[in-house]
Amino acid sequence: MKTPARKILLAALLLVAACTTQLAPAYDQAIVSGLASANQDVQTLFASLGTGVGKETYGTRVESYTHIIGELNALEIQAKSRPVPGSDSLAEANKVLSANGIGQLTNDPQFTSFPSARAIHDISVTISTMRDADQGSGIHGDELKAFQNQASIFLTQAITYENFLKRGEK
Amino acid sequence: MPALDPQALVIALQAAATNVVKTDVSVLQGFSQQQLNAIAQQSAFVAGGIADGSIADDTRDYFLNSLVEMAKSFANILAGLAAVVIEQVWNALVGVIWDTINQVTGLALVVP
Repeated sequence: MKTPARKILLAALLLVAACTTQLAPAYDQAIVSGLASANQDVQTLFASLGTGVGKETYGTRVESYTHIIGELNALEIQAKSRPVPGSDSLAEANKVLSANGIGQLTNDPQFTSFPSARAIHDISVTISTMRDADQGSGIHGDELKAFQNQASIFLTQAITYENFLKRGEK
Repeated sequence: MPALDPQALVIALQAAATNVVKTDVSVLQGFSQQQLNAIAQQSAFVAGGIADGSIADDTRDYFLNSLVEMAKSFANILAGLAAVVIEQVWNALVGVIWDTINQVTGLALVVP
């Protein structure tokens, strides 16, 4: 290759390769471990309910509900407390997804640069609502299945995102 | 000093990007499929619960609103995962380019 062309290519490469970038929060083992623990506690609660429970036995579950909700609320704060570099990039990724037909996130007022914190919050609200339903009239049938499936969906979202932050070590 | 081979660089860049995309996109696909199945199942549970009365008026609206929220949260998570993939591809390309520059120039530049 001729020298001038080589110089131009090198200059171009240096411009492009200015530096590495970080577009998402750092992996945090404490949050991953916290989610694993919360997941176990949530699954244990559901296992204890069997196919349904009446409100008369609600008192035996109060401690589990309180523990899980507190655990999740603490995790939400932890997940939100990390610096988020390049938060604009998430909005750009959002636009690409919307342009490809995956939701209309640009219109989602809850859209956040802390996606796992949002999912953790949703799990907490799910368990809180379930506690109220349990206390009011017990939980049975498809309502119980819906609470369990909903909690699992939000847990999977949070766990997948946090594990993904491990990047190359997945 | 060795000459920079643009073709070899392009091949190395493609390989670096492909390695990231192969791994990360397969994770994304698996996650997306699992979520879509679970959300579809949730719709069935909510419909069934309303029909058989186990989901009463006090939780019906909550479950219906939650179906919307879980779809939006899923998309929010996907956007977050996509940002990580973009970051990984970008950094893999930067690594290859700096390695090439180091080979050509004989320098030992550290990727910033």
